[in-house]
Amino acid sequence: MLGRKAVAGYLFIAPSIAFLLVFALIPFLFTIYVSLHDWNMLVPLSRARFLGFENYRYLLFEDPLFWQTFRNSVVFALGNVVLTMALSLAVALLLNSRLRLRALWRSAFFMPYVTSSVAIAIVWSNLYHPTYGLFNGVLQFLGLPTLDFTNSPSQAMPSLIATSIWHELGYYMIIFLAGLQSIPGEVYDAAKVDGAGGWQQFWRITLPLLRPTILFVAVIITLSSLQVFDLPFILTNGGPVNSTNTLVLYMYQTAFQFLRMGRATAMAILLFVVVFAMTLIQLRLLRERE
Amino acid sequence: MSAQLRPSSAFLNALKYLVLSVGAFLMLLPFIWMILASLMTSAEVMARPLVWFPHSPQLENYIRLREVLPLGRMYFNSLFVALTTTLGILLTSSLSGYGFAKFQFPGRDLLFVLVLATIMIPFFVVLIPVFYIVKELGWVNSYWGLIVPNIVTAFGIFLMRQYMLSLPEELLDAARIDGASEFRIYWQIAVPLSAPALSALGILAFVYQWNNFLWPLVVVRSSDMWTIPLGLNSLKVYASSPQVINLQMAGSALAIVPVVLVFLALQRYFVQGIAMTGMKG
Repeated sequence: MLGRKAVAGYLFIAPSIAFLLVFALIPFLFTIYVSLHDWNMLVPLSRARFLGFENYRYLLFEDPLFWQTFRNSVVFALGNVVLTMALSLAVALLLNSRLRLRALWRSAFFMPYVTSSVAIAIVWSNLYHPTYGLFNGVLQFLGLPTLDFTNSPSQAMPSLIATSIWHELGYYMIIFLAGLQSIPGEVYDAAKVDGAGGWQQFWRITLPLLRPTILFVAVIITLSSLQVFDLPFILTNGGPVNSTNTLVLYMYQTAFQFLRMGRATAMAILLFVVVFAMTLIQLRLLRERE
Repeated sequence: MSAQLRPSSAFLNALKYLVLSVGAFLMLLPFIWMILASLMTSAEVMARPLVWFPHSPQLENYIRLREVLPLGRMYFNSLFVALTTTLGILLTSSLSGYGFAKFQFPGRDLLFVLVLATIMIPFFVVLIPVFYIVKELGWVNSYWGLIVPNIVTAFGIFLMRQYMLSLPEELLDAARIDGASEFRIYWQIAVPLSAPALSALGILAFVYQWNNFLWPLVVVRSSDMWTIPLGLNSLKVYASSPQVINLQMAGSALAIVPVVLVFLALQRYFVQGIAMTGMKG
């Protein structure tokens, strides 16, 4: 017989558990199931044709676009991890030093993060406009050669990464600031007594003590960049010639433009495996270093 | 780094402010240009060499925008959907966070592992089935469809459970001895004491929902259900013609400026919220 308190406990968690079942766990199994079928969502799922692993085989061995979008996603994630992390840490270090008007500086760097990625993608698509954009206007003004930005297959991905860095930098800056502030001041005092200079303090104290935060940020950036959708959808719609088409964007197109649910869910599962593996690897690193 | 010991510290200090100024300018430049361009005529936006300031600032673009987009409807939809979803998240997260933190019952730890497991499932993985479920429920192109699938987040449950573990047991027991019901203890003691975690979760959830794009894009069919990002997305079809750059900038400004104002007012809570949720790991 359950006690009164146990019953209360079940009642408290019941709504959330029911929801997670209906809108996360069952759909997850559903995704696996659909990925083994040929289905366009227009007929009941029971009438979908069973294909076994055909969708996976097609994606992995016959679909060059899958590998291209995979590569694009990885490049996008790598660019973001390295550059966003370096820049947000640099800004956090500057903001953590003795500084006038700190809150004001912080707002300037943080502001893009709270704005809608759709709105900023529209703004940036105009900044990048090859003929009428601000950037080329400035380049012309300085007498420099203009660039094609999102109109060229080779410059589109760097442009996309630049926009993404600008948008997200402030968020990671705040996390780094919190990490920096958790390092006790006495550690630095002791180092100064021992005659350590600014650089030495950074390499020997700040970086090692910040390692958990750095790894945490690396995990979050990797996971969120591998799932990027809004920016390429608005800024380039994956083009030119798929140079900025990412896995989630390709999945969206496959599902909601071509109605190939089986193939799209197979893509979702493949990306999920990658994301999951990355998380596990990085969490393991995190635990080892702590 | 004491100032007296280092002759170059005045120079370094100046350099620091220079780097910060350049950085801050680059961060703000897209916003500044957005506002300036939204006040320009098409000829000014397209002028080469570049024109920085509109000759006579005009609100023409904002007026034209009202003809292209159902602005009032978009604002209402965004506000209504983001607010209800956030309230839902706060309610479900605090209820189950409290249940997991303060009650013993068979299967509790297993169920909590289940919650943690769903944190590992990104939304795009379940997008297609969730859409199918919503379609079968007849919720496509409705507030139900926009709101309901988002009102529980595993991360919110996790966050509230971690925070509520630290609520003092004696206080809850004292209320029990006074004969308060379990729900009343939750509502009148646990919830108020968890205000810092709730406000952190609330503010981040609201921003996320306000800016959410992929799910509304999939579930909304008609312009009367557009949220702000969906309305802006519809301006994209004009992207090929440069005469509407100023129109797009006006649209983006209308989406961005209110959020920036709210952010400037509540900045402290944003920062605390991110520091709190971010440092959990």
